[in-house]
Amino acid sequence: MEHAPLLTMRNITKTFPGVLANDDVSFDVHAGEVHTLLGENGAGKSTLMKILFGLYQPDSGEIRLRGEVASITSPTSAIEQRVGMVHQHFMLVPTLTVAENVALGLPSNRGFRTDLDAVSERILEISEQYGLSVDPSIEIWKLSVGERQRVEIIKALYRDAELLVLDEPTAVLTPQEVDDLFIILRQMTANGTGIIFISHKLHEVLELSDRITVLRNGKVTGDTTPSETNRQQLAEMMVGREVKLAPDKPHVDLGLARLQLRDVSVKGDRGTMAVDGVSLDVHAGEIVGIAGVSGNGQRELAETIAGLRPAESGSSVTIDDADLTKAGPARTRAAGLAYVPEERMKDGAVGEFEVSENLLLINHGDPKFRRGPLFDFAKIREHCQRLVDQFSVKTPSLETPTSSLSGGNIQKLIMARELDSRPSVILAAQPTRGVDIGAAEYIHSELIEQRNVGVAILMISEDLDEVLGLADRIAVMFEGRIVTVIDREAATREALGLAMAGG
Amino acid sequence: MKAKRMLKLFAVLFAMTLTAAACGSGDSTSTTTSECGSDLAVAAGESVTDLSVALVAPSAKDDVAFTQSMVDSLTRLGIEPQITDGTFVVEEAAAAIRGYAEDGIDIIVAHGTQYGGSLAEIAPDFPETSFIWGTSADNQGIANVFAYYPEADQGGYVNGLIAASIAGADGIGVVGPVEAGDAVAYIEGFTLGAEAGGSSTSIVYTNSFSDVALATTTAEAHAANGVAVLTGTSQSAVGAVNVATANDLPWFGTQSNTEAWSSDLTVASQVYHWDVVLADMIEKIEGGTLGGEAMALTLENGGLVMEFNGCYDLDSSVKSDAEAAIADIIAGEIVTK
Amino acid sequence: MSQFFTVSVLVATLATAIKFAVPYLLAALGETIGQRSGVLNLGVDGTMLLGAFGGYYTVIQTGSHLQGILVGLGIGLAVGIVYAYVTVFLHAQQGISGIGIFLFGLGFSDLLFQELVGTPKPIRPLPTLDKLPGVGRIFEPLVDIDIVGPLLFDHNLMTYMAFLLVPATTWLLMKTTFGMNVRAVGENPQAADSLGVSVAKTRFIAILIGSSLAGIAGATLSLQLAIFQHNLTNGIGFIAVALVYFGAWRPRWVMAGALLYGLVTATRIRWQSLDIIPQGASDIAAMAPAIITILALVLLASRVRGPAALTRPFSRH
Ligand SMILES: Nc1ncnc2c1ncn2[C@@H]1O[C@H](COP(=O)(O)OP(=O)(O)OP(=O)(O)O)[C@@H](O)[C@H]1O
Ligand SMILES: [Mg+2]
Repeated sequence: MEHAPLLTMRNITKTFPGVLANDDVSFDVHAGEVHTLLGENGAGKSTLMKILFGLYQPDSGEIRLRGEVASITSPTSAIEQRVGMVHQHFMLVPTLTVAENVALGLPSNRGFRTDLDAVSERILEISEQYGLSVDPSIEIWKLSVGERQRVEIIKALYRDAELLVLDEPTAVLTPQEVDDLFIILRQMTANGTGIIFISHKLHEVLELSDRITVLRNGKVTGDTTPSETNRQQLAEMMVGREVKLAPDKPHVDLGLARLQLRDVSVKGDRGTMAVDGVSLDVHAGEIVGIAGVSGNGQRELAETIAGLRPAESGSSVTIDDADLTKAGPARTRAAGLAYVPEERMKDGAVGEFEVSENLLLINHGDPKFRRGPLFDFAKIREHCQRLVDQFSVKTPSLETPTSSLSGGNIQKLIMARELDSRPSVILAAQPTRGVDIGAAEYIHSELIEQRNVGVAILMISEDLDEVLGLADRIAVMFEGRIVTVIDREAATREALGLAMAGG
Repeated sequence: MKAKRMLKLFAVLFAMTLTAAACGSGDSTSTTTSECGSDLAVAAGESVTDLSVALVAPSAKDDVAFTQSMVDSLTRLGIEPQITDGTFVVEEAAAAIRGYAEDGIDIIVAHGTQYGGSLAEIAPDFPETSFIWGTSADNQGIANVFAYYPEADQGGYVNGLIAASIAGADGIGVVGPVEAGDAVAYIEGFTLGAEAGGSSTSIVYTNSFSDVALATTTAEAHAANGVAVLTGTSQSAVGAVNVATANDLPWFGTQSNTEAWSSDLTVASQVYHWDVVLADMIEKIEGGTLGGEAMALTLENGGLVMEFNGCYDLDSSVKSDAEAAIADIIAGEIVTK
Repeated sequence: MSQFFTVSVLVATLATAIKFAVPYLLAALGETIGQRSGVLNLGVDGTMLLGAFGGYYTVIQTGSHLQGILVGLGIGLAVGIVYAYVTVFLHAQQGISGIGIFLFGLGFSDLLFQELVGTPKPIRPLPTLDKLPGVGRIFEPLVDIDIVGPLLFDHNLMTYMAFLLVPATTWLLMKTTFGMNVRAVGENPQAADSLGVSVAKTRFIAILIGSSLAGIAGATLSLQLAIFQHNLTNGIGFIAVALVYFGAWRPRWVMAGALLYGLVTATRIRWQSLDIIPQGASDIAAMAPAIITILALVLLASRVRGPAALTRPFSRH
């Protein structure tokens, strides 16, 4: 049994009410390799990993660790068998410190009392070994997303994980943070750790993986290695049809400025000026991309445009010449704004609501859904079914609670709702974060479609590929200001990268 | 539901115990003095009527205050009523009152001012039933409702006068519940009596009939201010009595005899003998008049009785001054409000 | 009038406030622990009533204050087991389950009182330090010290226990593994679960501690007042729950809230007893403690968020 793989999952099947999430999946990982799981939203990747981590029990199938049959009944037993997991949605307690989050669930050397000094010491050792710099005594809520991710990895390393699952670790990271993460992961594999990596970003997958397994509709549909494949081929393996990675963009004559920002200044959560005198016009028929490392005022700017955050005096926000500087979200929407927020579960959808309820969230007052004073449920069903089909939201039914959809499908649901509202201006923040290739292609073509018919689109994205592929003009934001606005034709990846770093 | 039934069962048991323990009969003079160390249990009298009687009251039937005074009064009349007590919630009381009326009870005593609104709805539906309701100075103009109320200021005056002789310049602390009803009457009469006796009162209303903690704190504040005597009313007054005990301060009670709470320090209690007006009412009911008027408890008609504590060594001249004052109040020579 | 401004009156007011705050503080500290674990218990007042009766009845029977307090604790523990079972394992809705506990406590404590005692009869109150059997004499000179005596030494042992429980609760929550687990399951139970912390067990124990303290708070109340009667607590348990919110789930702020509530109550009573507040204004004055405490704490604590998972049952699927 000496050369048995670190992990073998054999014939795993798992059903949820109305969904076959994993269908006879077999999969293995060797010590020291990165094995990537690739698949559309809802393909069953997270489910398979949760089974491995003891959060779900498979209906049938077998798991072997180091050649021995393993029974993984709970996260505790997974941890005991040296399996670690960095979840798609972070599993951190924001009000606890880094050290406390790491120590959680572990016995303390001092019995009843916590021994955070000893924990901190080991955290520092680990950080030094892997270059994961983080202050053990700081509370999680004060950390950036990239730093939080480091804490998740430290948690696994602290528990001596030999097999580490990373479920979409890069979805929320800046390009620089992704580079840093990869350095750490390579160091871990060099030390013999086996890594399972999940991502929708094909260039990352090609860069990091030793092997790639593709899932579709819960089934394994193929496996390959980076040397014998390319982006186009991977995309097609995932989606099962031909995919256009670079969307076609016909020429459109610019119309009037529909969204106008003049000297917009906004205070952030901590009272400092997060947006500092931003002026920008978005015309009918163009997509303006805002590039920049997150945390440079993009979120605050988006919230201000959407009417969710007050601007400082002297600022002005207008849509089609209507002054919306002091308008709340209702008036702003009435003026023709569609808003796809960055944090989909917090600002974009209500997790406990059914799919249909979230689809109706912004226009349940529309008379066309009413018969007298009552809802016309037949009409509503028809409307929601159409949106679900059109945007291929993968859901067992319209009544499913939204929180049990996979991450990418929630995003598609929000897009469907917003684009259907016939807006004059679309404000989309990270519109394809965590969305699979097929769906991203659809969302991109839909945005371009809207642009072609004269909608003004302001897109905020950290994904340079997305910005370069979609935008007509690109504005780079740094420390709350727009440092440069470049036409797409004149933009290069290098120039943008430099501007994003403040250079 | 089960708890309710157990309560009722217990109520019946309790009434039987009372009856069994009974010996001798009540009196209707305006003062009494207990024998020190004697049992305070009220003796059951000769039954005055064959009519069936039910009682609905807000607090516990043995609260040493408002509700117990009514139970004791009925006992003195030889009446063993069906009892629903502890109905602080008016809706519950209304349900109980209606239930008794539907069961064909002849006389229903609704012992709580707050039940007035419910009675105005229920009484007209049962014109054959007589409702006795208090405390209230008017019967809401309903033909089958009798109302009763104590002129609590009268005994208050007497208590105040005696208290002044003990307290003098140190003053008297008053623990009031809610500024309404017989509490206000008692406290105002008490203040007049205290002033007539050359002392003064400090009055605090806690704004609750039942908050013992607040009554305790209030009495402690009075004690800390250096008063020499305490008095108070409502079932929360037990807290104040405990403070009187802890600080060795004489106490004056009202509504019921508070010797049960403080056998050494209770000087005198104004006790409501509802039986005096109840007896009048029952006589009228038997004569076919089911209601239509309000009757007052006074020192004159024996509805208010000043009960002196035999264990408290009260100066005999003070006591005779008090008795003279009672006579003057009855004669109308002293005005107590 | 000028009396009010004398030192002795101020000291007496403060001393009253401290004593008055004790049952509130005990109950609120318990509720703080429960809420930190993500469980709201609106049954505190009912638990207190049962504890109050249990303690009172025990003292009638045995004459022992210590046993009275222990019985209060035991009753709180028993009620806590029921509440924890229903909310943690059966995933019952917390708000309504708590109200159920309250109503049960209100009715059942009264029923037991009627059955077993009947006429409210005073018991021997909890002795202050100088009246403690045996060792009381040692404290007598301390109680007589100006200012410090009445403020610090003229109290019963439960008062000291309540205030010592403030740092103890902070220590439990901040410095022990159990406390860390409590905070984690109240904030993000999924995360705690993913690290092998048993959400159910942690919440169960937190509820038991909280409920036991509510039982002790009730027993302390009846032993301090030396009496029991129908609804003796008069809503103390509900105010304690409010104090937890307004005290932003921090033991020290909760203590500040309880003391402030006690102080405003003591002050209004005292001002009325000295005629500083005119007769007739008592209804308005009676609202002052609640209003002032809420205002003060809202101003202090409005920026603090509560445990994110408060009132949310946890299950893996
Ligand atoms: N707890 C659950 N209850 C019901 N259905 C679930 C649950 N968890 C997942 N599903 C369903 O199982 C399927 C697979 O979901 P899973 O989260 O594994 O997808 P995924 O491949 O991780 O997708 P994504 O890339 O969007 O994260 C989806 O259809 C999802 O709706
Ligand atoms: Mg997933």
